[in-house]
Amino acid sequence: MSETQKVSASDNKRKNTGGTTILFFLIGVAISLAVGWVIFPKLLYLKKSQPIDFSHAVHNEAVGDCDSCHFFREDGTFSGSPTLAQCIDCHEDVQGDTEAEQIFVEEYIAQNKEVPWLIYSKQPDCVFFSHAAHVKKAEMSCESCHGEIGTSETLPIYEENRITGYSRNIWGKNIAGIKKHTWDRMKMDDCGECHEEETGDKGSCFQCHK
Amino acid sequence: MSKGSKHKVKKFGMVIDLDKCTGCGACMVACMSENNVPFKENESKKLDSITWMRVYKLENGKSFPEADICFLPRPCMHCEGDRGHAPCVSVCPAIATDYDHNTGIVSQIYTRCFGCRYCMAACPYHARYFNWRDPVWPEGMEKFLNPNVSPRMRGVVEKCSFCHHRYQLALDKAYAEGRDKIEEDEYQTACAHACPANAITFGDLNNKKHSVYRLKKNPNTFRLLERLGTNPKVYYHSSREWVRRAGDNYLKHEAAKA
Amino acid sequence: MKIDRRNFLSLGAGATAGLAFSPLPWKLMDDSSIWTQNWPWAPVPTDGEASYVDTVCSLCSGGCGITIRKIGDRVVKAEKKDSDNANSGICILGLSSPQLLYSPSRIKTPLKKVEDKWVKISVKQAVAEIAEKLKGLRKDKLSHTLACISGSSAGTVPALFERFLTAYGSPNFITVPSVKDIYKLVFSLTCGASCIPAFDIANSDFVVSFGTGLLDGWGNPAAAFKAHSILKDNKKQLIQIEPRLSNTAAKADKWLPIIPGTEGVLALGMANVIIGKQLYFNKNVLFDSVTEGFEEFKALVEKDYSLEAVSNITGIKQEDITALAEDFMKAQSPVALFGRGEGSTPGSLHEMMAVNFLNALAGNFNKTGGVYLLSEPDYINWTHPVLDDAAYYNINAKRLDGAGEGKYFLAKHLLNRLPEVVNSSKTSPINFLFVTDSNPFYTMADTKLVEEAFKKIPFIVSFSSYMDETASMADIILPNHFFLERYQDIVTTCGLKPAVGLSKPVVNPIFNTIHSGDAIISIAKALGGTIAESFPWDNYETCLQETLEAKKDVMDKELFWIDESGVSNAFADSSGKFEFINDKTRQTKPYIFVDAQGEKKKYPLTLIRFDSMRIASGYTANSPFMTKTVADTVIKENDIFIEINPKTAAEYNLAERSKALLTTPKGKAQVRVHLYEGIMPGIISMPSGLGHTGYDSYLTGKGININELIGQIEDPASGFDAAWGIRAVLARV
Repeated sequence: MSETQKVSASDNKRKNTGGTTILFFLIGVAISLAVGWVIFPKLLYLKKSQPIDFSHAVHNEAVGDCDSCHFFREDGTFSGSPTLAQCIDCHEDVQGDTEAEQIFVEEYIAQNKEVPWLIYSKQPDCVFFSHAAHVKKAEMSCESCHGEIGTSETLPIYEENRITGYSRNIWGKNIAGIKKHTWDRMKMDDCGECHEEETGDKGSCFQCHK
Repeated sequence: MSKGSKHKVKKFGMVIDLDKCTGCGACMVACMSENNVPFKENESKKLDSITWMRVYKLENGKSFPEADICFLPRPCMHCEGDRGHAPCVSVCPAIATDYDHNTGIVSQIYTRCFGCRYCMAACPYHARYFNWRDPVWPEGMEKFLNPNVSPRMRGVVEKCSFCHHRYQLALDKAYAEGRDKIEEDEYQTACAHACPANAITFGDLNNKKHSVYRLKKNPNTFRLLERLGTNPKVYYHSSREWVRRAGDNYLKHEAAKA
Repeated sequence: MKIDRRNFLSLGAGATAGLAFSPLPWKLMDDSSIWTQNWPWAPVPTDGEASYVDTVCSLCSGGCGITIRKIGDRVVKAEKKDSDNANSGICILGLSSPQLLYSPSRIKTPLKKVEDKWVKISVKQAVAEIAEKLKGLRKDKLSHTLACISGSSAGTVPALFERFLTAYGSPNFITVPSVKDIYKLVFSLTCGASCIPAFDIANSDFVVSFGTGLLDGWGNPAAAFKAHSILKDNKKQLIQIEPRLSNTAAKADKWLPIIPGTEGVLALGMANVIIGKQLYFNKNVLFDSVTEGFEEFKALVEKDYSLEAVSNITGIKQEDITALAEDFMKAQSPVALFGRGEGSTPGSLHEMMAVNFLNALAGNFNKTGGVYLLSEPDYINWTHPVLDDAAYYNINAKRLDGAGEGKYFLAKHLLNRLPEVVNSSKTSPINFLFVTDSNPFYTMADTKLVEEAFKKIPFIVSFSSYMDETASMADIILPNHFFLERYQDIVTTCGLKPAVGLSKPVVNPIFNTIHSGDAIISIAKALGGTIAESFPWDNYETCLQETLEAKKDVMDKELFWIDESGVSNAFADSSGKFEFINDKTRQTKPYIFVDAQGEKKKYPLTLIRFDSMRIASGYTANSPFMTKTVADTVIKENDIFIEINPKTAAEYNLAERSKALLTTPKGKAQVRVHLYEGIMPGIISMPSGLGHTGYDSYLTGKGININELIGQIEDPASGFDAAWGIRAVLARV
């Protein structure tokens, strides 16, 4: 008898602790999920603001098209972000009444200093990306890689991955690696995926590397 | 391109006229300058010296005054092997080097390479070089670095790329002008362009209109170590028989070339 | 609820399981693998717009049209200019110009030596100090003790320096000599006209080169290479005569090894064959009426240059000499080249004349495939400098180098005589020395003698862009811009016509340097008086603009202004005849060919220098890239190799790479041995251009400067240095 009592007592105890054990397990899971999904991304990315709050929307309206500022040079290379020399064409003096423009004219134009823009889509040095091949030959739109930046009122915060040093736009907008848009991530596999779809071949190394 | 018809596939290659090559070394410097090839303080120590293009001096082995020498520029041969089975490509465990079937160019991706040097051992032409240490550009000299070629770091292998970036720049220009094709002179390697003796001819070996197509057919044309089956894309031309024989390991009484 | 061990473990297990369903480990793994592919210390070249600027390379006297590739404001690459112009080309040195522009041995600011240490000074201060010193010298009536060594005599910058010396009151403007000086002499003596030859190699069908380094840096190297390739395309002949299988000899259809120093004898021997067999008759219009002294010349070669004698002296078989002479005359458009190696040493006048007689016998002057006689572009038409009494008096003082007088009546400048003149007087006859566009302390033979002389000169101002050997000995350095940072006119030939090229600034000066033209104008202005008056230009650029006038527009567009009327009517100018022997040449004693210095018994071997495209041996030194191209049978670490025939090496018990002590009458050096079947037994050779003590750690201390081992030999005919080698002995170490 005493034997069975003992057993049931320990059973009881096990039941009690079984509940708490599961509870603790779930707490553990919850903490981890919170850390992994909420805190980790906050820690992983260093948030940087652009030197000037630039509105693509305003400029797009004024000049009409992306390639007024982001143009192809005569030799077929892409100019990327405009240099001061280009901006001066319009902004020799203050045009409007925004604070951002005033900062731009006073701190950069007047001092002949290039604006240290943070480039969301900057690839590492070993990557060769031909805008001509994608935009001119394959006739892709700017949005397919750059998203809706062209119509934005304000520049988004630049997020730099503390480990890799690369922009979040390149190395995965979504922390889970889920791609909702074509422009969400621009890693090698993303290039390969599209190349395979469009040309039937992932391409050789030198197609994108230098 | 798997979709394209067969004749669309390019096969870039070179024909080097050894009768014209003077051994001046201009191709070597043109290459170093174009491709950010590192240099060190003690460049008269050759053991770890990197020369994508190297001009070898061949001797005929005879005594004075019958002695003769010939200079032989050696870039990467961009071996086709059997359908792209180049000696270096097939041994790379990191897929840091591959054979591009559209251009016939053998790549080398520095960031992908982890420095095992199997490819160096596999290459019968010594065309591959290892960075034993980080390259150093003395203060100010980093200013002449070419942005079209990424500088290397210690622990990786590098080699001649047939100036692939010049091909891409030529394509960029063509695309921007609404063209699909480039002309022969639009893509020339740095060495071919620089050669003051016009000894190096570069072009598409598959294109009948390109000079290399005609030149490679000259009976005095040979390739290095052809019998290994490496199927290299660099052809040499010499009117001297001993030079042609030097291109492969022939037995004493064996006639050169099939 | 108590947290016991079990609960704690459960929490841990939960956390672990949770983590697996969170992005943290996966993202971390991915990111850290990317991190391992980061090399933050590897430079990332800044990208930008590419632009191309055309200019004329002035690193040697060739004057090639080149294109500089820039990214933003950086110079990234030098390339040949794509154009039909004959001078569009580039050599290994020109390709090095980005490295030379950004070189660590560039002098970054004017410097002054204070107690053996360099102190940075401003341009203004340097000019003021130089002017102050020069004022003092003038006050003491010693203006003629100012001398200037200039790398060249052609173009506006040397002309400004010469003008400065004249206005200041000194006749001692001296240029660094080269084979071009001898070329001019040869033709002024035999054709009576001042002209420079241009050899039409590309269109010739039989080129005989008497040691000329056609493919080793002679003339405009890129143009010479092109011409040689055309020769090969046309399947025409090139015969190279020299004791060493040089790169030129290796490319030649035939290499005839000859005992060095006897090239002139061979030429006269060939002349004897040609005259004896009357091969020149139907060949040559010159002989109908337009030659002078031919009978005398004929008598001379018949007497002293019999086949047997010539064969004995030169070491070339009689039948080879005959065959060569016959083939030469049988050819449609043969041409004989002269001037040893790259032509940095002038050489023996008589040797050159002897070879040129072959051209005369073939009658190839101003003919396709022959020798074109070009007049030098005459475009610097400045008014005479203003001279005050002091200048006028001293300008007529005797030249220190003795050029133009007595037995040196043929020469205009004799830099090689300077060390001896300075060393032989108690106090230096030069009180003040300008050195521009040259590195004489390194490039002159007999380094010890030259060093003694330079040390004796009280004040030296260097205008060098680099901390070269001569600049290191200076008291003040006013560094010149590099050629990619400055305007300069380059006198050259383009195809077979005289031309002037324009070097244009491609980038803004990167250091605190000053154009030498501006420097000398500023010094003149600081001196005031008639000297300042002689320099009416605000700066060099206005001076150049005024001098070139309309030509500058052509140059801005085409890089070169070509003097279409520049083919000289040499024969029409003077007697109208080619003069084999005339009163002037009789004065120079007939045909003494210069032998090597040193007793044969004590020094049984002969050391000769060889020039290589891969080693720059003039004012500009090797870039690191160039040093990279030099084989380790030439230089290995710091050891220089001498080339020696295996037979000779065996006599000295030397094997490949053995160390040996090389002794010449001028000095000793430890060398290593490279066995080479391409060199005549008994001869050893060494490259020029190594053994720098100046510059930077990429160059200093590599090998030996051959000038330390070789002395000068004054050419009895001209006074120029005619040494082509020296006797030597080797001992195993």
